[in-house]
Amino acid sequence: MIEAGPILRAMTRNKLGVILITLQIAFTMTVVINAIFIINERSSLMARPSGLDEANMFYISSVGFGDDYNGPVTVADDLAMLRQLPGVENATVTNAIPVSGSGSNSGVRLSDDESAAAAFAAYYRVDEQAIDTMDLDLIAGRNFNTGDIQWREPGQDLLRQELVISRALGERLFPDRPLNDVLGETIYIAGLQPQTVIGVVNQLQGPWPTNSMVELSMLQPMPSVGGRSTYLIRTEPGERDRLMAEVEEMLVSTNENRIVRGLMSLEQTREESYRIDSAMSTVLWVVISTLIFITCMGIVGLAVFGINRRRKQIGTRRALGATRSEILSYFMTENFLVTAIGVFLGAVLTIGFSIVLTSSFNMPTMAWYYTPIGMLALIVIGQIAVLGPSSGAARTEPAIATRSV
Amino acid sequence: MLFYYLRLSALSYRRNPILSTLMVLAVAIGIGAYMVIFTLNFVMGGNPIPHKGDQLFHVQMDIGNPNESFNPPDQLTYIDSMALMNDGRAFRQTVSSKFGGIIEPDNPELRPFAASGRGASADFFAMFDVPFLYGTAWDSSADEDLQQVVVLSRELNERLYGGTDSTGQTLRLEGNSFQIIGVIDNWNPVPKYYDVNNGPFDTGEEIYLPWNLIVSLELPRGGNTSCYKAVDGVGFQSFLNSECVWIQYWVELQDADQESDYLTFINNYAAEQKQLGRFEKPLNNNLLDVEEWLVEQEVLPDETRILSALATMLLAVCLLNTIGLLLSKFLSKSAEIGVRQALGAHKGSLFIQHVIEAGFIGLIGGLFGAVLASFGLEGIKILLGDDLMQTSWIQLDLNLVGITIVLAVACTILAGLYPIWRACHVNPAIHLKTQ
Amino acid sequence: MLKMTDVSKVFRTELVETHALSDFSLTIDEGEFVTITGPSGCGKTTFLNIAGLLETHTSGEYLLDGTDVLSLNDYQRAKLRNQKIGFIFQSFNLMPDLNLFDNIDVPLRYRGMKSAERKERIEAALESVGLLARKKHVPSQLSGGQQQRIAIARALVGEPLFLLADEPTGNLDSNTAQGVLELLQEINEAGTTIIMVTHDQELASRSKRNIHILDGRISSPALTTVSSEPQAAAASI
Repeated sequence: MIEAGPILRAMTRNKLGVILITLQIAFTMTVVINAIFIINERSSLMARPSGLDEANMFYISSVGFGDDYNGPVTVADDLAMLRQLPGVENATVTNAIPVSGSGSNSGVRLSDDESAAAAFAAYYRVDEQAIDTMDLDLIAGRNFNTGDIQWREPGQDLLRQELVISRALGERLFPDRPLNDVLGETIYIAGLQPQTVIGVVNQLQGPWPTNSMVELSMLQPMPSVGGRSTYLIRTEPGERDRLMAEVEEMLVSTNENRIVRGLMSLEQTREESYRIDSAMSTVLWVVISTLIFITCMGIVGLAVFGINRRRKQIGTRRALGATRSEILSYFMTENFLVTAIGVFLGAVLTIGFSIVLTSSFNMPTMAWYYTPIGMLALIVIGQIAVLGPSSGAARTEPAIATRSV
Repeated sequence: MLFYYLRLSALSYRRNPILSTLMVLAVAIGIGAYMVIFTLNFVMGGNPIPHKGDQLFHVQMDIGNPNESFNPPDQLTYIDSMALMNDGRAFRQTVSSKFGGIIEPDNPELRPFAASGRGASADFFAMFDVPFLYGTAWDSSADEDLQQVVVLSRELNERLYGGTDSTGQTLRLEGNSFQIIGVIDNWNPVPKYYDVNNGPFDTGEEIYLPWNLIVSLELPRGGNTSCYKAVDGVGFQSFLNSECVWIQYWVELQDADQESDYLTFINNYAAEQKQLGRFEKPLNNNLLDVEEWLVEQEVLPDETRILSALATMLLAVCLLNTIGLLLSKFLSKSAEIGVRQALGAHKGSLFIQHVIEAGFIGLIGGLFGAVLASFGLEGIKILLGDDLMQTSWIQLDLNLVGITIVLAVACTILAGLYPIWRACHVNPAIHLKTQ
Repeated sequence: MLKMTDVSKVFRTELVETHALSDFSLTIDEGEFVTITGPSGCGKTTFLNIAGLLETHTSGEYLLDGTDVLSLNDYQRAKLRNQKIGFIFQSFNLMPDLNLFDNIDVPLRYRGMKSAERKERIEAALESVGLLARKKHVPSQLSGGQQQRIAIARALVGEPLFLLADEPTGNLDSNTAQGVLELLQEINEAGTTIIMVTHDQELASRSKRNIHILDGRISSPALTTVSSEPQAAAASI
């Protein structure tokens, strides 16, 4: 049985080596644990559903120009053509696309006093086909009907009073109230008539994925038929890519007085909107693996150095009757002790750094289990790294003791 | 003696090639990773127009909801920016905001397309040192008289006119005709300090025209717009009269006196407006220079700031490794050091020899580190893609290569201080006997 | 030239105090060939280290060429070693990665000599040990005897006052050792003082002057006699 005492006493004679490894392990742990936490944070952000059937959706914008352009007619014709295309499930027109990074929001209040506190919610100005096109889950109330829609040219007053809100917005405005109860409530949005909630959808993200209020959104039955219209289209599974090309071609060829731009699938949009996050995750993975590699190199280096220095002593121990496994466990224990000091220091640094991240970068607090799991993982990594050199040491022949080097 | 010691360093490298290569690797990885992040921070957090650092100021005026404690808005209302512009007391001043428009090219082979544009005042070009390839900017009479003139970006001129001098030609934009009076040369400051509200790393616009035309022709506005009060009524005129901010306002001031005078001026203006019932919040107007403005707007992304802390720790781990490796390397040379002492080396010369040896390792590590950093930056460029933001700047220029190498040498020598100290204090007497 | 008066060297650790040399007095004059003998641990090496300025003595006075070395700092001691002392070691101690030319170059480098003069001297030194043709070789390409000749050339190249040789033939077979001893003999005859530590009593007894150290002291003045036929003695080994 190996006891820690003699090993600890031997370690005090190589203080510098111990300090170097301890610090390396502590820094490595700090970086690795916090990086993994950041990666997990980002991937949970990226995993949030937008509420839409993203896999089968795309959008495209039409921008009219010149005096011959007739907005209302163009939009009506386009929508009719789109909905008839084989493979298209449904299409709608909207002012903004979820998760795309570009859109509009308004302050939403429960009174008409403009100085009252407001929840800021994204709005989508759409027609009655929007809920079906987006494949949203209407959990309370009703959809818009054709009569609710005000096709609106620039400069017209906004007259409609019907509103469909996201569940998150409902919960924000009316905490602790069942969603069915919210129907019929009046809410106030600057510049609009007082609005009546007619429906609630389970989930509909706003256009800004980094915003903390991303889940607060609403649908307004007031699509614009001005110069620019964006069509959002849902296809049957597997038909999207074919239809993207077809729809673009169709829009280009049907009207000389407009340009067609911004053809993109929702998957592409999501990729673009979260590209910084996924780039960050990739960079962090590179940092983590590099760091673990370097630290293992350091552990192996120090172990080899220490073993070579004590080669004769190991032979002597062997000659005095130490078995191979005792030599092996001597060095494994030595590594365990050094790593243990390192991970305790590392735990302090990890938590410290995490506090800095939380306070200066608006990051959530790290869950408690990251640190102990990280400590354990580094001890395991240390043991694996030192296994090679230690078993090399264990193979030392006892005869080396009698040989003079 | 320097070359002698450098030769000794090279020979010493060859003696323990594995140990030495491990050290080079550790330095290269640590420095390489650090330099990747350093480069990102250096450019993204840098001031792209340092020579005008104390002359260009962004104007912020604190309108807003008195019940909310938000900072002053990033941009100005139409009312306020016109008031400042009409006063015109700064050495130079410009309003600026984005618009988008459809260009209908004369060339029948080109289909109409959408282009991004910026409305600005005549001073914009002189204030921000915009270089011209052909022609010139407009002068302030064009601003006042609503002359329909445009300045094109080099890329747009390339697309429309194949790169030839297009000044004097007529451009059809949003159904109006404009005379081209200038083409600017490559100009893509990073960060895009003159407009950080609409993507601080975006590419510049393709068309520039007198800002007043955005209003008179009701061109499609672009960029962020925030309103703390609902627009009263419908239509463009109501929007112009509203408390919506959408216009950026920059002034160029020549000295501190002008700066304090200007701040006093806008504060006085705000006080007058208070009389009229506007500016309901306590006086809090800002005149920030470029650097202050970039910091206030938190242009440097959180990502690179977090990464720079992580990269520093990675570098620390690499250097801790280097300390250990250098120590074993120098201690394995104890016999040689003993001989050198016997032959007349004093501690000073041993110190220099080993500083140079550590520096030599650092130099090779730095060279490899620069290569690694280039690859790393190239990788980041690929990860970011070229469709979301400007990425052409993501590379090591000669200055950064120089910084990499100097940093590598300095760090390695620093890491080597204890090993060097040990090498200088080898007791020759015990190392000269038979080993 | 070398004068030690009551020189003592005490090594102290927490537990023990070891007297490596006690009240050691010795004078060596120019041109002498002195052998130092004694059993393991007697203080031979300590004497050599002190004489060679590799270690400082604890008390007493050591005058090297008239200079009291106790008061010198590291820089001055290094300078004295470089200019006045040539070292020859049992294991040669050549620098493995320097070629022969560069090995001999080492002491001259520390003297800060000009390149042309160094080259001239190094080639002369190589010539004198008969290895000029191999100046680009590295030590590992040489036999033990040849390595020791290079070490001797290195010790001589700076024209020192005296050579300190520590068991110079200890790692060599008897034939090669013979050649090295003859070379040292020639050097001594040419005027360079040689102090040689050896455990070979026979060799010692035939030298001009032998000093036997026991427990850190010169054991018996009787042994420090001058051998009648030193050349013959050396040649007969």
